[in-house]
Amino acid sequence: MLETIIFLLPPITACVLLAGILGYFGNHILTRGIIFIDIALAQIVALGTMIGLLMGFAEESISVQLVSLVFTLVIVSIFALTKFEKQRIPQEAIIGIIYGLGLGLAMSLAEHIPRGSNFIAKTITGNVLWVTWDNVLWCFVIFSVIGVIHIFSGKYFIQISNSKDSLPFSIGKVRLFELLFYFTFSIVIVKAVPIGGVFLVFTLLIAPTSIATIFTQRWVWRFIWSWIIGIIGSVIGIYISYNLDISNGPAIVCLMGIFVFILAFAKIIFGRSKVLKGVTN
Amino acid sequence: MPDALVIMFVPFIACLTLVGIHGYFGIHVLKREIIFIDIAMAQIAALGGTISMILPVEVTTAWGIVSYTAHGGGTIAYLFSLVLVTIAAAVFTYLKSEKLYVSLEALIGITFAVATTGAVILIDVGAGGDVHVHDMLVGSILWVKWSQVLKSFIVYSMIGAFHYRFRHKFLSISEDYQKAKEKGINVRLWDFLFYFTLGIVVIHSVAIGGILVVFSFLIIPASISVLFSQNWSTRIMIAWIGGTIVTMLGLYFSWKIDVPSGPSVILFLGVFLFLALIVKALNIFGTSEKNVPGQSASGDVSE
Repeated sequence: MLETIIFLLPPITACVLLAGILGYFGNHILTRGIIFIDIALAQIVALGTMIGLLMGFAEESISVQLVSLVFTLVIVSIFALTKFEKQRIPQEAIIGIIYGLGLGLAMSLAEHIPRGSNFIAKTITGNVLWVTWDNVLWCFVIFSVIGVIHIFSGKYFIQISNSKDSLPFSIGKVRLFELLFYFTFSIVIVKAVPIGGVFLVFTLLIAPTSIATIFTQRWVWRFIWSWIIGIIGSVIGIYISYNLDISNGPAIVCLMGIFVFILAFAKIIFGRSKVLKGVTN
Repeated sequence: MPDALVIMFVPFIACLTLVGIHGYFGIHVLKREIIFIDIAMAQIAALGGTISMILPVEVTTAWGIVSYTAHGGGTIAYLFSLVLVTIAAAVFTYLKSEKLYVSLEALIGITFAVATTGAVILIDVGAGGDVHVHDMLVGSILWVKWSQVLKSFIVYSMIGAFHYRFRHKFLSISEDYQKAKEKGINVRLWDFLFYFTLGIVVIHSVAIGGILVVFSFLIIPASISVLFSQNWSTRIMIAWIGGTIVTMLGLYFSWKIDVPSGPSVILFLGVFLFLALIVKALNIFGTSEKNVPGQSASGDVSE
């Protein structure tokens, strides 16, 4: 029993860290309706890594990660700066296009890299079970710094997220904060995806906040519930996957995903929307 | 050159049928902001295929009961996919509700994640996983068979005719869900039919082109067309013409310099979108009069 716990401690810690930072970002992502941003970004990160590999850097070296990060930040800047007052092509569609093109390019490049297609498959699942303490510590440091940035500028981010059809302040200021928001988000994705895989990251981002949002629309409570749900969900998921001997990432994803649907059905069947509406914000 | 024509003819026709149906559906999908519905549906259909691969399905034949395992395109796999797609269509229809405060796109995303990772878990249990995942993404439009194209064409035509016959319902709901409801349209029924027909289309398309090509044909031509018009018929025409040109270029390019045809077509779609954005930014056609962004041209519905 003790051995199991010691063995599972790094992945659990990693998941708790991921659930913490992604649970926070997820509320913004959901409110903005840019659900697939993380999958698109993860694809861009993978593409950046492949470009790094093609440039001759070793896999998992610092240089490759840097190339990947720079590439990602460039793409993200384009995305942040294409937010207009009136959105003709929905932002989610732009995300879709970035995803499609990113994956298309990655697949063309995959032919030129040894085990290239294997590389695409690897980003899909990830492997949180083999995360090292070293890696966990790095995540903690980076996520903390980003957390501090968001503590100071959080209220601006919330204002931007809340405004669908208008801008809360001048377009210049909005774009500045958008850059900051997406830069910090990209760094989180760059760190998180190699650990958890695209789908675990996606689920930790969207599922907890979806559950929270079904029941409360206040930002503070959404954050708190997202954290609780994300952390409990991933710990239970790791435990179940370990016992049933199935991949841990997919187990957490399926567990939380199915949970969202059960609660969504429950809410529609039993929910009293009229009464709740008064509480909104 | 004649070689290219011979090899590329079937893939070209296949791409054109994809352009035809997805150019139309893409506009709906963009309007409803359920961008990733097609990837989610494709993944659900694939999950059906995966389940059928793992369950040894018993098929009764004249010689008694034989154990039958479907591989990819088998009838059993198709039935499994169809059942799962129908369920998904019903679930999406049911979960579109103001009571949830969660957008349908978020639930579509979660469906996508669960279906994909579910397939990964099942494949772990089964065998031959990696290859399958890769094939699903890329597809192999170069090796598509006439019979496949013909079958898809018939299915698309039927669905297309159905959508044309009831275009008022489908278009009204995509333009404005609430208004359609007030007009007395049974939004639940027509929503279900929309997802269901889209699901069937996706099953066939993915078998031909792979998830990614299909997704690109759905989103990119529709995105290009919205830059220049708010009118449904104009948008469909733009999507079709653009899609056809891109397909020709993409396939030719892929044959010429020997890159995979699927990604090649996708990249050309991207290039085309980029050019469209430049044209739009330079305002070459001077079309600023009636393209008030965000204003829905509801008059078009009754055309």
